[in-house]
This record gives sequence, structure tokens and C-alpha cells, in this order.
Amino acid sequence: MSDFKAEGMVYVATVRSPIARGSVRAIRFPQLPTGYRSILPADIPGRNRIVSFGAEVPILAQDEVSYAGESVALVAGPDPVILEELVATTKVDCDEEEPCLAWESFSSDQVAAKRVAVVGDPDLAFSIASQVYAEVYTSGSIEHYYSEPQGAAAAYDYDKIAVWCATQWPYHVRDSVALALGCREEEVSVRPTRLGIHLDGKLWYPSLLACQAAVASIACGRPAKILLTREEDFRFSPKRARSSVSLRVALGPTGELSAMDVRIAVNVGAYGPLADEILSQAVLACTGIYSCPNLRVEGYAVTTNTPPMGAFGGLGASHSLFAIESHANRMAKALGEDPADWKSRNVLRKGSALLTGEPLKEEPPYDEIFKRLAAASDYRRKYAGYELVRKRRSGRSDGPLRGIGLAFAYQGAGPFLSGEASNSYTVEATLDKDLGLRILTSAAGGAGRVIDVWRRSAANIIGVDMESVTIATPDTDQVPDSGPNTLSRNVSVINRLVERACEAVQKRRFRDPLPITARSVYRVPKPIKWADGQVSGLPFDTAAWAGAVLELELDPWTLEPRPLGIWLCVDAGHVADPERAAAALRSSAVDALGTCIVERFEPAGGGEEATAAARAAYFSYGLLPLRALPPISVEFLEPGKRASVKGIGELPFDTLPAAFLSALSQAADTSFSSLPVSNARLLGSLGTS
Amino acid sequence: MTISFILNGEDVSAKTRSVDRLSDILRETFGLLGVRSDCRCGRCGRCLVFLDGRLVPSCIVPAFEARGREIITIEGYAQTEDYIDITEGFKDAGVVTCGFCDASKIMATAALLERTPRPSPEQILDQLSSAPCRCTDPEAIVKAVQAVAERRSKRLYHHAL
Repeated sequence: MSDFKAEGMVYVATVRSPIARGSVRAIRFPQLPTGYRSILPADIPGRNRIVSFGAEVPILAQDEVSYAGESVALVAGPDPVILEELVATTKVDCDEEEPCLAWESFSSDQVAAKRVAVVGDPDLAFSIASQVYAEVYTSGSIEHYYSEPQGAAAAYDYDKIAVWCATQWPYHVRDSVALALGCREEEVSVRPTRLGIHLDGKLWYPSLLACQAAVASIACGRPAKILLTREEDFRFSPKRARSSVSLRVALGPTGELSAMDVRIAVNVGAYGPLADEILSQAVLACTGIYSCPNLRVEGYAVTTNTPPMGAFGGLGASHSLFAIESHANRMAKALGEDPADWKSRNVLRKGSALLTGEPLKEEPPYDEIFKRLAAASDYRRKYAGYELVRKRRSGRSDGPLRGIGLAFAYQGAGPFLSGEASNSYTVEATLDKDLGLRILTSAAGGAGRVIDVWRRSAANIIGVDMESVTIATPDTDQVPDSGPNTLSRNVSVINRLVERACEAVQKRRFRDPLPITARSVYRVPKPIKWADGQVSGLPFDTAAWAGAVLELELDPWTLEPRPLGIWLCVDAGHVADPERAAAALRSSAVDALGTCIVERFEPAGGGEEATAAARAAYFSYGLLPLRALPPISVEFLEPGKRASVKGIGELPFDTLPAAFLSALSQAADTSFSSLPVSNARLLGSLGTS
Repeated sequence: MTISFILNGEDVSAKTRSVDRLSDILRETFGLLGVRSDCRCGRCGRCLVFLDGRLVPSCIVPAFEARGREIITIEGYAQTEDYIDITEGFKDAGVVTCGFCDASKIMATAALLERTPRPSPEQILDQLSSAPCRCTDPEAIVKAVQAVAERRSKRLYHHAL
């Protein structure tokens, strides 16, 4: 977006709310030079709202503001430096109310979504349990650190308004802009720009900026571009939602998992635009890879007066998977056994009932994954050795402070779990007269490396070279709606649609004259339904399974965790390009490790103190330095003959945090339950050991 | 004020204001879009340029500092044989990037190889940390830079003969 330019283009800067909660009395702009103008909610010709998964977010907050930094007005003009000065000298007069920042305990009017499910008879199971283990696991906010900050541009293109932005969901941008401008959807054309690394952070927010750019463009009668600075993006755009997962687990006499009582609270910030989806995914993943016959789970998406929070490398399952895997490791340790053995006894098997009652269709390759991991990492010996050292250690200088952790997870491939509109996946394929094959999908903009997987699948079915397969530019005027493209759906759902469309073309190939066009539409097999404490439906069609081992050492003086090795073993189904898939997993593993060690920040409320803290957080936030990285080994299980392509990009985020926490707990001989772990907490733990 | 300097081997001049950053005039006045303007505080490495042979983030250099000096951006560096060594080496090693950090990775590698023709993996990772990006695969980048170093030393050896 930063390279986008158009003749006569104006830049757009945002006037933001200085308070986290309250009402706006007046906005006092300085004298605006010729060629500059302000844009207020009254200038929005259509609805001042965008809709995401049922939640509504104002394009410009009109009366009420819900977080510090919320857009209340725009200023447009030709010079971004002058705009910066104009925004800095604009005063927003507000009547401030006490912001609501608490979320682990909350009031009923903060609840944006609620999910409850009961399976079996948990009360009876708890009453006869041999042992009960309880703990609360929390995880913090994470910045996406996109390749480029969020932005959008808009301009009239003959009879249409054209919008350019880096988005995972072009049709959502189109529909939102049409709603904001009060025009027909066909009158808006979205031309996605390069996404880069997005980690699911560019799902709905680009639609908000696109609406602002479109409104500014209409108001000024010129092309308009809004591009957040890196600091604005850090402080005001969505981050990973914070979560608190409270687990109470009942075990039978031989340590078998007999019941779970789970309470999940996810802080979705203001408005909660992804609340439904994140909560559904978190609740459905609450038992992790384990079979649990008796379960009570309550999940709440809680709104607070911080910027809207959302997805990060997946849409919610990672919160629960982190909690259950950390807890499994802790329970095994308390029982005096290797976590691998406890997990092996309790893991889901083919036919085991999922939370919705649906039987698991495939055998999870737990044993094979663990066998490979143990061989590669020497896990068994190291775990036993570090346990021995931990038990005998009398102080921090007595022996190396080392630990090793093991975690498993799955990444389901399937539809979104909420919102019918978000599941309208369609892909089109056209075989031209020159035997060139064109694939048309709106998911192409964010597909990155996955495009080669689609091209390879299509080429194999049609029997042409990969070079003959082209992916059309994902302009909404040209391509069908393929839904929101996320890490997992591009590889699984979209790839399957590409295959089906190509198969349909191939069937007609020698009967009909060229060109032949075929469409493939995804139908959700069994949609998830929540009613009266029961949940039904199929959470995923198929899943990729993975295990991770992480070994670390604590510096005896600084207590800085130094990872010594990461081993990942993944059942990814059919892997088209193992080299590239391994490279993608390694970079995700680097990011996941960074979120455990260095990436920490607390979204703030309003006021000068909070602003200073947020600015300080921006300047101190950074990725894990490459030199701090351990060797990362990635191994894939050999696929069966009929194995399909599975999404795997989320798996390092689902496994490594729990493996890290368990390794850290062993090294420090303390049971940690939240990430990231602060140095003060580490010092406290070892100061008393 | 108007300043004159050497940009990618050519004598140029540009009007600047006191608030302008070097990255601003490189992008806006000269249209050199390979210099990205991202964090604007010298941390992200997207705007790296050679200023009198030294690698600097141009977003924290005031534009007037360029007066009388020599600047090489990725566009200028792309005309060199060293650039071909790096891009070919990256390609051969299978480095896949997000498309936004390529220039910074290339410039960081160039500066490293200029002072350390045979860098160790630690030196490579240390240097490439100045161009942080979520797309980086550490194993691939180490292999790639080592391959580039090999390729570059062979070429220089043949030139010397």
C-alpha cells in the first residue's frame, strides 16, 4: 500500500479519541489550509458501521467512544507531513467515563458471546474422582508485526468506486464499503494488494480502513489513501485476544481423564468483531487431543475498553490447546510419570466422540509422531534426567537449569464455525483454447506459497504443466467469493475446491468445446449449532496433527531462557513441497517462540499515563533476535495413499507455547501458568528454590 | 534548502525541508520505492541504504545530512555483480520471503559480506536480525548467505586472475 499513488491523490490521517470510554462533545480542528478538509461521521453517505461475524464496529465513532485511539474524524489533504501537524493540533473534547478494563472477572453487560456445553455427567465424575487438578492458564496479547502496516486506498474508476487494500477477505471489504457509501455491492470493486505475512490479523480491519478511504475519496472528489504508521498500527489495530482458561480435571484411579470443568474468558476488546468465532473455536478445542467422557465448558467473549482484539495464527483454538497441554504436562508430573505416557493413555482414538458427539473419523497418529519426536530429540532420557536434577537441586547454581517440554495439537480443516455468510466459498476454473488453465478465487491475494499447491493440484488433474496454470488477480469484479482466506482454509478448503472445479472441467473436456468453465461451491457438511447447553455439528472435516518438543536452559545469572532445540513432527497429509512446507513451519516456530520469550505487551486504556505506556511498549516490542534461535528440526509423517492436503501453519502456535511453559517450569522448578513469563516472576521462583 | 549529493552513482540535487527524512526524499522526490518507510524509528530495517559505504536506516537520517555524500539504495545496488550473487544465492538456497523485506535482507547481506567475506552462522543471524521479519526461516537464510559468500568469493577470485 505504501507504494500506491494516483493522480491528484489525497492522504488521509485519523483524529483519535484520547479517552477509553465516554462521549465526544466537540472536535476542534485548527484552521485547515486550502486543499485540506475534515471528515466527520455526518459525511458518511450510508451506514456508519461495518459488520463482522454479527458484531458492529463504527467507521467513525459518533457520540460514544469505546477505546483510546478510536477514529472519531479524518483529515484529508495532499501533504502527509502537514496532515500529521493538523491531527496533532486537533482537540477532541470528551466527557470521560471510567473505562472497563477488567475481563477475567466481568459483568454481564460485557459479554459479547457465550457458549455452554455439557457432555455426560461431570458432577458425578468429579464426586468419584481419585484426583482433581485445577489451574488457570492465561496468555497475553501479541502484535502481528505484519510485513506492512494496515492501509487502504479508494478512487472512482468510471462508474465504480475502486478500493485497494491488503485484505484476507476481499468480499467483506466490498460489502462494507457498499454499506458505508449506501450503494449497490456491484458498484464497488476491490483490488487486493500484496498481503505479506498477516497471521490472520487482516481479516476485518482492512474493511474499516477501506470504508474510511472510500468516504474520504467521495468527500474530496479525489483518490484517497489511508496508511497507518507502524506506531498507530501497533497501538490501535487488533492484536491477539488475551485469554484465561480455567481447568479443573478429574482423573480416575489409573490416571485416566474422567471429567473436565472448563471456563474460558477471552478478552476481545471493544466491539468484539470476531468474538463468536474465536469463542466457538476455543470452546470446541478445550479438550485438546484428549478423550473426555464428562465435560462442562462455559466460554465467554468479554468486551473491554481496549482496541478490538482478535485472531493470531488461528482463530481461537490456540488458547485452549495451550491450556490443556500445559495442564496435561503438569498433571503427569504430579502423578510422577512422563507426560508422554499420560498423553498416550488418554489421547483420542478413531471413533472417539468429539465435543459435539461426532465420532473422530481418522486415527490420530499420536504414537508415530511421538516415536519420531523421541528419537530425534532424545526426549525420554532428557526428561528423566532433568527431573532428577530438578528434584535434587538445592539452588540456582547447583547444576544446569534445564527443562524439556512436550505438546501435541491438531489443526482442523473446515469452515468457519459461526456466520453463514462467512462460509460462501466458491472457486472457478476455466480451461482455455490454448490449454491454459485459469483458477479464479478471491483467496489468491493472501495465499502466498499455497498458490503453488493449487497450481500443482490443478495441473495434475487436467494433465498440463504447472506453468500452464495461472491464478487470476483476485479483483472482486473478476473472481468469485471464496470467503475469508486464513492460513488453514487456503490449504484445505480452497485446495479441495480447486480440485473439484478442475475435475468438473476434466469430465467435460472431451465432450464440450473449449473454453470450459466449472465452479465448485463449498457446502458446510454439518454446521455447528449451540442450544440449551448442547453443541452439535462437525467441527472439522479432517485435521493435521502435530507434536513438538522444546528444550531450554536458563542462564543462571540473568535467568534468560535460552532455547536449545525445537523438534516438530507433523502429519500434514499429502505435502506437495516438503522443503517449502518445512521452511514455513520453521518461520512459524520462530514466531511462536518469540511470543513466549520477548513479545509482550498489555493493551492500555486512555489518558496520558496509558498513552506513555503504550508508546513505551511500541518502542520496546520486537521479534526474537535470530541469533537467539535454536536449531529447529521439522519432520513430516509419510502420507497414506489417499491422504489429502492439510493446513499446518497454525500448528507451531498451538504446540510450542505449552512445550515452552512446561520446559520452563521444569528448568525453574516452579509451575508457571501464564505466558509470557516476566523476568520478575522467574527471579521470584528461583530466589526461593 | 536545496542539497546536492551522489545517488546511485549520479550527481543529483533535491529540495528538502527540515522535517524531511532521507527515506522521504528518496521515495517521494526520486521515486525509489525499494526504500520502504515503515517504522520511521530505525528498527525495522526496511529503509536500509549505504551512506558513504555505511549501512544506515534512512528513516532516521535527516534529509539534509545527505548533502555532499554518496548514497546507494537497493535500486543502485541492483546494478552490481554483488547483487546478482546475492539474489541468485538466495534463489538457489530456496529462500522464500514475504516480498516486503527482500531489499533489507539483500542490503544487510551485502554489508556483512563486505566486511566479513566468510561469515559464520552466528554472524549471519546477528546481521540479519537488523532486518527483522516474520517470514524469516533462520536455517534457509544461513544456508543462503553461505552460498552467496561462496559464489562471491569464486567470482572475485576469477576476476583477480
